[in-house]
Amino acid sequence: MATKSTTAERPRAGAEPWRLALVCALAWLIPGAGHFFQGRRDKGLVFLVTLPLMFALGLWFQGRIFPFEWSDPLVFLGAIADRGIGVPYLIAYFADAGAGRVIAASYEYGNTFLMTSGLLNFLVILDAFDIAQGRK
Amino acid sequence: MLPTVPASHFLFMVAYALLVSIVFAALLKDQRREQVRTGAMMFGAFLAAAFVFGWLMYPFPL
Repeated sequence: MATKSTTAERPRAGAEPWRLALVCALAWLIPGAGHFFQGRRDKGLVFLVTLPLMFALGLWFQGRIFPFEWSDPLVFLGAIADRGIGVPYLIAYFADAGAGRVIAASYEYGNTFLMTSGLLNFLVILDAFDIAQGRK
Repeated sequence: MLPTVPASHFLFMVAYALLVSIVFAALLKDQRREQVRTGAMMFGAFLAAAFVFGWLMYPFPL
């Protein structure tokens, strides 16, 4: 493995608030960037490839990027999950992708791929945060 | 023009299981050997669970 992940071999990134915020923002914007920033290139590469791929598959499967709809709590939660992926979401937003096609057989699968990619990226952000705190 | 979406529920499930297994394996383990082992086990468990629940639901609706 090119990059070891043990805390003992790696200098602590420090826990300055600005650095934590930077790591979290990077990790949200570009999946895996928080890990790249802290020298965890192998993990960062895995996240950089798999999460946007999952999001793209969700769009290809004609899933819908949910709007923030306060009247429907489940749609609202789905909207938060969709936005967890960062830049891929912004690209889809500006490209007018993610309208969804309810009658497509793959519609629900598409929704699931879109939301799961965002939710997994939230976990990746937390992992990057833990690394920045020196916990991992 | 994008290729046609495959109409296979099994393929959707396999793709989902594969991607989620890869991400979780990378998140949970630090060494590559452990990551591969954990990812493979998780992927197998996803597929096995899908087959088991698929057959359990087979008689429904009654």
